Amino acid sequence: MSFDYNMILRYYPELLGGAWVAVWITALSLACASMIGAVVCIGKLQKHGAANRLATAYIDLFRSIPEIVLIIWVFYCLPLLFDIGIGRYSSAIIALSAYGGAYMAEIFRAGVQAVPRGQVEAANALGIPVFHIARRVVVPPAIRRMMPALVNFLTELLKATSLLALIGVSELTYVASTLGSKTFAYMEFYTAIAVLYFMIIFPLSVYARRAERRRLRRTGN
Amino acid sequence: MSETANGTNGGDPIIRCRGVVKRFDDFTALDAVSTEVRTGEVVCIVGPSGGGKSTFLRMINGLEGIDGGEIVVDGIHLPGSKKDIQRVRREVGMVFQSFNLFMHMSVRENLILAPMTARKIGRAAADERAERLLERVGIGDQIDKYPSQLSGGQQQRVAIARALAMEPKVMLFDEPTSALDPEMIKEVLDVMVELAESGMTMLCVTHEMSFAREAAGRVLFMADGQILVDAPPARFFSEAEDERQASFLSKIL
Ligand SMILES: Nc1ncnc2c1ncn2[C@@H]1O[C@H](COP(=O)(O)OP(=O)(O)OP(=O)(O)O)[C@@H](O)[C@H]1O
Ligand SMILES: [Mg+2]
Repeated sequence: MSFDYNMILRYYPELLGGAWVAVWITALSLACASMIGAVVCIGKLQKHGAANRLATAYIDLFRSIPEIVLIIWVFYCLPLLFDIGIGRYSSAIIALSAYGGAYMAEIFRAGVQAVPRGQVEAANALGIPVFHIARRVVVPPAIRRMMPALVNFLTELLKATSLLALIGVSELTYVASTLGSKTFAYMEFYTAIAVLYFMIIFPLSVYARRAERRRLRRTGN
Repeated sequence: MSETANGTNGGDPIIRCRGVVKRFDDFTALDAVSTEVRTGEVVCIVGPSGGGKSTFLRMINGLEGIDGGEIVVDGIHLPGSKKDIQRVRREVGMVFQSFNLFMHMSVRENLILAPMTARKIGRAAADERAERLLERVGIGDQIDKYPSQLSGGQQQRVAIARALAMEPKVMLFDEPTSALDPEMIKEVLDVMVELAESGMTMLCVTHEMSFAREAAGRVLFMADGQILVDAPPARFFSEAEDERQASFLSKIL
């Protein structure tokens, strides 16, 4: 069996289009997941009360359902349950954001809790208003600490977009499978998208690993 | 005006504690503590570990809640509203054993953050104040460095300057030299002595007896959540009036 490069050359606009869809769905989902994650994280940081229990329940729920089930459930079941129509793309973003929110909440929390208590204590002792303590004292070191985890999660999210092929979102994997069934050049197209995924994700992984090593060297924890 | 313990005239009481109680679950950390500190007074607090010294300091600027009694700082009553607690914190500076500088900020940023956000003074005035205070604690040339680039003694002096930048009426020190290498203790104590001489009201938990002798007007001995002794340093170190004080002195002197 020979590898037909012409197939890829002929259909590369479709393939790049699929990659672009994967990227923007990831970006949009990450943005929504960050907002959900921030709210859930604030809830989780309350020591007790309803907010903490709600946040815990959210995290436990969405970390215990496989992404693929969540995606299918949002697209096929949610509309039936509430008698509304949700498009493929909206379903995709809702499912990935809900799933991502749970992970982002934990990433944020780890970042915030890694900021030494003494920093907040000193800021309180100076009478700095709570808003400024959060913005100037807690968030900047927290972000620095959670960068590696955040980039790792970004790569997970990118990989998870390939599951969206199942609900007909024309991202990279979906494009490959439709081109494959049209031309029977499965090998060419799946090889091509494997390379494309790798080219997007591998640099991110390298960055995360380097950032983590740099941080360890600088702070030792 | 009344006489303070060491015979010098103090100002009016700026801190008044009446029957202050602190509980952690069912453990009583402070058991009806009452005392007064007058404007310009320097008071050292000593005593065995776990006696409640840190807890007492932390209550004076609202870092710990009050379970009984009351603390009045410059006319502001604690326990009080969140707003009252913020007001007290602006008037009371605190220096910690572990410095607690903001590690991701330069020395300058450490010093201007609180004045700009809690006192709402402008950037130029905050900068000017930061420069002046760093000169005063002897590290004017370190203003653009980061805390991790400084020695422990320098970091603690930055921490003192950071507290002073709020122009507090009272300064609290919780074992400010305990985390320092011996050769750096003096540079921090020198700053504290200068501060005391300038008339700052100070409450210092410290085991530097040289500082207590030199700068303090009164020494409080705290154990088991109570102030057992309140005496001028000369008398405190020469004649023990309490059994626990005697055993404490025999260990440290
Ligand atoms: N947050 C807390 N929760 C529970 N117990 C506490 C807490 N903070 C202090 N305590 C207890 O209160 C008592 C007084 O503690 P505190 O730190 O005030 O003592 P200290 O006199 O400063 O001691 P040291 O010389 O070791 O610093 C101790 O028994 C301590 O275990
Ligand atoms: Mg202590």
